[in-house]
Amino acid sequence: MKKSIGERIKRNEDPRLLTGQALFVDDVDLPNMLHAAFLRSDYAHAYIKNIDVSEARARAGVVAVFTAEDMGEDWQPGPPLVSPPPTVEGVTFHSRRQVPLAKGKVRHVGEPIAVVIAENRYIAEDAVEDILVDLEPLEVVSDIETALDPGAPLIHEDLESNLAAHMIQRVGDYQAAKTKADLVISRRIEIDRGAAAAMENRGIVASWDAKSQHLTIWDTTQAPIPIRNGVATRLGLSGNQVRVIAPFIGGGFGPKMMMHYPEEILIPWIAVKLARPIKWIEDRRENFYATTQERRQVHEAEMILTREGKILGISHTFLHDSGAYDPYGLTIPLNTESHAMGAYDVPNYFSELTVVFTNKIITTPIRGAGRPQGIFVVERLLDMAAKELNMDPVEIRRLNFIPPEAFPYERVIIDQAFSPLIFDSGDYQPVMDKAVEMIGYEQFIKEEQPRLRAEGRHVGIGIVPFVETTGVGPYEGARINIETNGKVNVATGVGTQGQGHFTVFAQIVAEQLGVDIKDVNLVTGDSAEFHWGTGTFASRGAVVAGNAIHGSASIVRQKVLKLASKLLEAPEEELELVDGQVRVADLPRLSISLGELAVEANPLRGAVEPGTEPGLEATSYFGPKYGATAFGVHAMIIEVDPETMMIEIKRYVVVEDCGTVLNPLMLEAQVHGGVAMGIGNAYYEQLVYDENAQLLNASLADYLIPTASEVPRIEVGHHETRSPLNPLGTKGAGEAGAIPVPAVFAQAIENAFADQDLEILEMPLSPNRLFELLMEKEGES
Amino acid sequence: MKIEGEYTFDGVRELVWEVVRDPEVLATALPGTQSLEKISENEYEGEMHVRIGPVAGLFSGKVLISDEVAPESLTMTVEGKGKPGFLTGTGAIKLIPQDSGKTLMQYQGDMQVGGRLASVGQRMMDSVSKSLLNQGLDSLNQALLARQASRESGEEVEYRPPSESEFAASVARDMAGEVFSSRWTIWLAIAVVIVIIVLAIVILNRG
Repeated sequence: MKKSIGERIKRNEDPRLLTGQALFVDDVDLPNMLHAAFLRSDYAHAYIKNIDVSEARARAGVVAVFTAEDMGEDWQPGPPLVSPPPTVEGVTFHSRRQVPLAKGKVRHVGEPIAVVIAENRYIAEDAVEDILVDLEPLEVVSDIETALDPGAPLIHEDLESNLAAHMIQRVGDYQAAKTKADLVISRRIEIDRGAAAAMENRGIVASWDAKSQHLTIWDTTQAPIPIRNGVATRLGLSGNQVRVIAPFIGGGFGPKMMMHYPEEILIPWIAVKLARPIKWIEDRRENFYATTQERRQVHEAEMILTREGKILGISHTFLHDSGAYDPYGLTIPLNTESHAMGAYDVPNYFSELTVVFTNKIITTPIRGAGRPQGIFVVERLLDMAAKELNMDPVEIRRLNFIPPEAFPYERVIIDQAFSPLIFDSGDYQPVMDKAVEMIGYEQFIKEEQPRLRAEGRHVGIGIVPFVETTGVGPYEGARINIETNGKVNVATGVGTQGQGHFTVFAQIVAEQLGVDIKDVNLVTGDSAEFHWGTGTFASRGAVVAGNAIHGSASIVRQKVLKLASKLLEAPEEELELVDGQVRVADLPRLSISLGELAVEANPLRGAVEPGTEPGLEATSYFGPKYGATAFGVHAMIIEVDPETMMIEIKRYVVVEDCGTVLNPLMLEAQVHGGVAMGIGNAYYEQLVYDENAQLLNASLADYLIPTASEVPRIEVGHHETRSPLNPLGTKGAGEAGAIPVPAVFAQAIENAFADQDLEILEMPLSPNRLFELLMEKEGES
Repeated sequence: MKIEGEYTFDGVRELVWEVVRDPEVLATALPGTQSLEKISENEYEGEMHVRIGPVAGLFSGKVLISDEVAPESLTMTVEGKGKPGFLTGTGAIKLIPQDSGKTLMQYQGDMQVGGRLASVGQRMMDSVSKSLLNQGLDSLNQALLARQASRESGEEVEYRPPSESEFAASVARDMAGEVFSSRWTIWLAIAVVIVIIVLAIVILNRG
């Protein structure tokens, strides 16, 4: 079989992307198209007393203005995206879903109140300013820590409090273990909000063809198939009357997985109502209000250990900020629970999660999705313990790793899919060793650091392992067929947002069918091409869709071999698929091209054997029993300028074990992107809300995303522990780069200020915040 | 946002009180005020043009005076709404007579802003509002001096409130002062002059 998987192949899609030949939603320009602009609330919490749209409607060029009242019976909260957990006893979950347009009350800044449809965006935006809204401001729930105070204003007045969910998970007996512990480390750990800040904002174009009764939607979604199904249901159409296309998308990172954003229901609804194409493109400021955010949690965390440094148990009680609604259920806090034991063997675990509503923008997963918080908690506690015990941070981790013979390792809690959390496979020690070697750990701490410290420089090293649950079900599918020109078509339901699917998936196909990857034509995220699937999330594309593609390609290969064997009069096992040909291995001149075979497989006349399927085509699906768990180690050497608190990352090393590497070049690119995002989470990006839940830095001038000058050269090493759960042996890697970065930063910065005994228990930091922390330390001593 | 501070007026307390409670004078002190009408003893309604950094627009709003103890103290509540967002604020003002015949005003308040004003104007908010407040109080003091002078001379003394653009210029000057320390401002000015001279030479030589 020709080797294609594992090759460093440059991206198939890049020539199109780099020469402007790729279609993005905003490129869709249809005749008669109208444009939408939204009126969004300036208040975080207020009653809507009156909305007067008469002036807006009267403006020349305005076609329609809609409020919640104008939607009549069609106004309904969005469908729940994730069902509440059914399998754990004593769980509380109040589902309150976002609405297409606010009715009676606004619950967060930026919640849409009205939409204007006009001949162009300029007119639409001017008309938005013509709308007079009478809002009666209410007391605001601006933070999770006050949300449950008695007398706190109620965001959903039909509930008794702002509690959205509560749940406890236990492993062993933490309290009993605590009595035997030599060391107890207790800390309060806080993580704040950030934005995904994808380069491309969201956008939707919807077009209703009244004559064919067919709706076409271009949407920047990560979940085109569920969007199609949801919109069809909401509009009273059949699935096959709705086609959703998720074309090229400039970054997803999770928030585009949120399903049925208000605009995703409204724009199609209006397109049908007005029978004209409608376009809405989110602008950058709007993106800060209208697109979901993540990460705010406050943990009261504790780790108990023996004096040798062996972990006896971890306990954490934490608050999770859901924002004004909770459409994404418990995915994020459950991910935190799944990762707060890190890569370690933890016999006793207690975790109590409390999700609260606040008057802030809705929370849904962003790259990492609760995992960075969990890893931050466990790694920080372990760092504190290592200091107390005077142990090397690498050593204490080695001591506690889940040993290779323990896999599959069951955690005895449920994960975000409500299934038992099982780590399928892993071998952590060699990965750690490789990272230690690549960063030159021993040499740095023994020689370089003392030398630099003597010069008065603040240099520190951080080295942190992490696990990542990836590749969860339920399923994905793919259809593959060979054209009569010998090219291969592949269609799958997942959307693509820059991951390199056009290359990696083509490699999987090429490996089976012996074609050049340039001859593999992939279509992702177009429900007309393939209408089964769930979406691109949870680092699952390469695992779930990848194995579905592998499955379909294998079946097509069997069909090719069977037909070629008949035509070439040679046994199947003597045939090989090379360069788009099937040939007899010993007699290469005896061959037939895949194109000719495709013609033969689809006869126009004559009789065939009963049960024959036409063409060289196959559709198959893959759903793993449970998710595959990847592992990795990040190591960093940082220098902090003690006057400005600006940082320089001198080395950044990642060793990644995501099972079979499909294409190292692209895996490295994924890791690089993830680390860049993690650097933002650690030192630059923080969404600042004031006490009235007003977002204070809703622009890229104030919300700082790392640029090329903040992102260092990142060295990536690989280690392969194949997953036994799928034929390709793959595990996900999409989120890996971002997950441990805050924990690495904390360790490295503490190490850089080792003499000051600094403790970092919060993220994100910033130069200002680091300065404050050091000043506080100075004040104490 | 908390606002707190003090200001010394060059006049006696009764006169300061008179000026503060005169809507026409008050309108000139609140920069960008297009109109301010008394709708009841303690309530005014008006329109004001506000610019904070990149955010500008017309606000319509109300000013409500409460807890009034003439001529000692009062509470002022401002509520404004406009296309760039909203602002609401409450300020408690105290007037304390000084031996010198001057009057010390102590004020403390809380201002809340929302919408574009908060999200995009935030960076400028603190310095702009401080500057606005100081400029406004200076204008009030000028009005006070004019009134005092006319009382003394028995003639009308003209008080010309600063125009909106004069106001904006002062605010910009304050902002620049914050960004560049005075030392840097001098060097910056010198640098600008040098650049202009060099450009002038280049252009003249061409001609």
